[in-house]
Amino acid sequence: METLNRRAAFRLAGLSALGAALAACAPDAAGGGAPKGDAAARTFGFTSWSLNEEAQKAAVQAIVDAYAAKGGVKIDTASFPYNEYLNQVTLKLRGGQLSGAVQLDISWLAALAAMGRLKDLGAQAAKGGYTDVALSSGRFQGRQLGLPWTTGSIGLVANTEILKKAGVEGMPATVEEFEDALRKVAKLGGGITPYAAATKAAQLKDILPWMRTFGSPLLEGDTITVGDDASVAAVEWYKKLYDAKLIAPDVDRFDARALFAQGKAAFYDDAIITRGVVAAQSPDKSLTGKMAPLARPVLKAGDTPQALLWGHVIVVVEGEGSDAAADFASYATSDTATVAAFFEKVKLPPTTTAGLADPKVAGDTFTTEWTEKITKTATPNPFWRYAGYAQIETAIAEQVQAVLVGQSSAKDALAKAAETAKPLQK
Amino acid sequence: MTATLSRSVPIARAPRRRRPRSRAAAWAAVAVIGFFGLAPIYWLVVTAFTPDERAFTFPPSLVPTEITFDHFARLAQNEQLFGYLVNSVVVSVVTAFLSVLVSAYMAYAFSKFRYRGRKSLMHLVLASQLFPQALLLVTLYAVFSASGLLGSYGALILSFTTFTLPLCVWMLKGIFDTVPSTLMEAAAIDGASRWRTLHQIALPLAAPGLVAAGLFAFVRAWNDFIFALTLTDPDRQTLPPGLVHTYLGEFQTAWPDLMAASFVVSLPVIAAFMFLQRYLVGGLTAGAVKG
Repeated sequence: METLNRRAAFRLAGLSALGAALAACAPDAAGGGAPKGDAAARTFGFTSWSLNEEAQKAAVQAIVDAYAAKGGVKIDTASFPYNEYLNQVTLKLRGGQLSGAVQLDISWLAALAAMGRLKDLGAQAAKGGYTDVALSSGRFQGRQLGLPWTTGSIGLVANTEILKKAGVEGMPATVEEFEDALRKVAKLGGGITPYAAATKAAQLKDILPWMRTFGSPLLEGDTITVGDDASVAAVEWYKKLYDAKLIAPDVDRFDARALFAQGKAAFYDDAIITRGVVAAQSPDKSLTGKMAPLARPVLKAGDTPQALLWGHVIVVVEGEGSDAAADFASYATSDTATVAAFFEKVKLPPTTTAGLADPKVAGDTFTTEWTEKITKTATPNPFWRYAGYAQIETAIAEQVQAVLVGQSSAKDALAKAAETAKPLQK
Repeated sequence: MTATLSRSVPIARAPRRRRPRSRAAAWAAVAVIGFFGLAPIYWLVVTAFTPDERAFTFPPSLVPTEITFDHFARLAQNEQLFGYLVNSVVVSVVTAFLSVLVSAYMAYAFSKFRYRGRKSLMHLVLASQLFPQALLLVTLYAVFSASGLLGSYGALILSFTTFTLPLCVWMLKGIFDTVPSTLMEAAAIDGASRWRTLHQIALPLAAPGLVAAGLFAFVRAWNDFIFALTLTDPDRQTLPPGLVHTYLGEFQTAWPDLMAASFVVSLPVIAAFMFLQRYLVGGLTAGAVKG
């Protein structure tokens, strides 16, 4: 019998380890895309960034606990920071590590839906009593893949005290009136930025509703219209505000909030949560009483004010516990007592007709005004249908910034943006 | 001898005074670099002691007008952060230990033995540093997922050790190169085994290098964000993702609390550096010049 010397034994052990490692890395027989586990299982996961956010975690945990007690199920919760959430959820869904219900920003739906692992929640949507605009935020290619949890919009907020001091009477309704108001505010001096509009590339996607205001659809069918006359006019107008110091350089959403909270900005763009966020940063405890939402000014009277739809949906991953997870998603988003209590704690508007009519919600003037003036005509970003929407937005934002700093003309820059964005439409 | 002495005369001359202009330039360079190095730390400390509503004052005040300890009080009450701290300590200490252990043997083998493929292996180890580590995340995720390690301390420790090994190995190889081979030969003549020669002669002589390698591995593990976030379960995450998770939200960032937490969690690392700095400097430079 032949004996192994030490070197041969090492070689054999090394080859064995390599083989074991390769075997471990190989995909399983079921295939990466097939749903795994028992859909009827009474244990499922719930992944949500809100579960770890100071302002919301108690309210979200209360919903989880209430449903677990009511339904006799076990819910395993997980959370990732908002800024890393999409990457983490995508990686885990691809690796088969994600199951159950998952909170999503509405702009992320396409990216996850493209992986083909989300359950169709049409049946739950049909009986939930959701508003049409809310339901649209969870729809992808005709399928209801998400149940809307909160639906709002990104719109303009004004500091009425500054406007009053500047002699601006009433809220500006047209672009011309808006520009006049900004010029009046500028005359106040004191370091006040009339409009704390986004001018940093990371947030310059805020210009898209202005492009729509000027008449550009942004996307027609699958043709990007950024670069048309309307979008060029919008960017030239933005540049005019920038040169006249009516908007300030290097501002993103966080800067704008800080400026507004310090009483150093008359207008800025934000979501409906602006009230709570700004109040927390402001030394002026009466600031929230001076805040007023306004419909985005239109190019000419009679046009529809533009606003960007914003909100959260809950999706369900096919497989382990997906039936109970779908029922949980329905409960969290459409049970009237639950959504009203959630609103009371976190001020995120519900998505059902009954929820919006609940006295706790309807009695909140700021929310009802916001819904009426801004959310009512809000529409999703047309680029959200593409998994690469963020890169498309970045391509446009970078070119708009080039215009602002004088490196390019609006026409050339937007033509280049459209060219860059074209291959990202997938 | 005479010639040697006569040549040494210019060397013995009194050193020329540096010109005031070059001295001023040197100080200006130090001031600029010092400003960029220290200003963020100053701002971190100031913000940590500034009340929330004052932290966003525009224009910002360089000197705090009000001081609060509220953020530190809230930090002390946050049990979750203590959990992140424990995770950081466990992962960083084990990573440092494993890195030193493995790299010491590898470096010794590279330095003191001659065998076929040695140089290729050494360059292969170094080449692994050329890949952006973020690119390896997806692969490592799949490997750990398939092996059942995903979510555990083991996944983090193994990945961090993998990343720190190349630099540790090369650092320690340089140090072992400076240990005279005659010492090993003398030990062998005296009857010491290779094992004993390594552990009782080479390793004690390379102690500063081992400490430097350990500190490097510790800091690498302590500071990592993306691997710590992705490869572990939330209850095993370390401080960097833990702090982000706790203070950076969808709508707002609790900057003063985040700065207070960052200030406190950096103290153990500062203390470790102060305690071990003489080893660190000695270890990093020991292999630089061969005697």
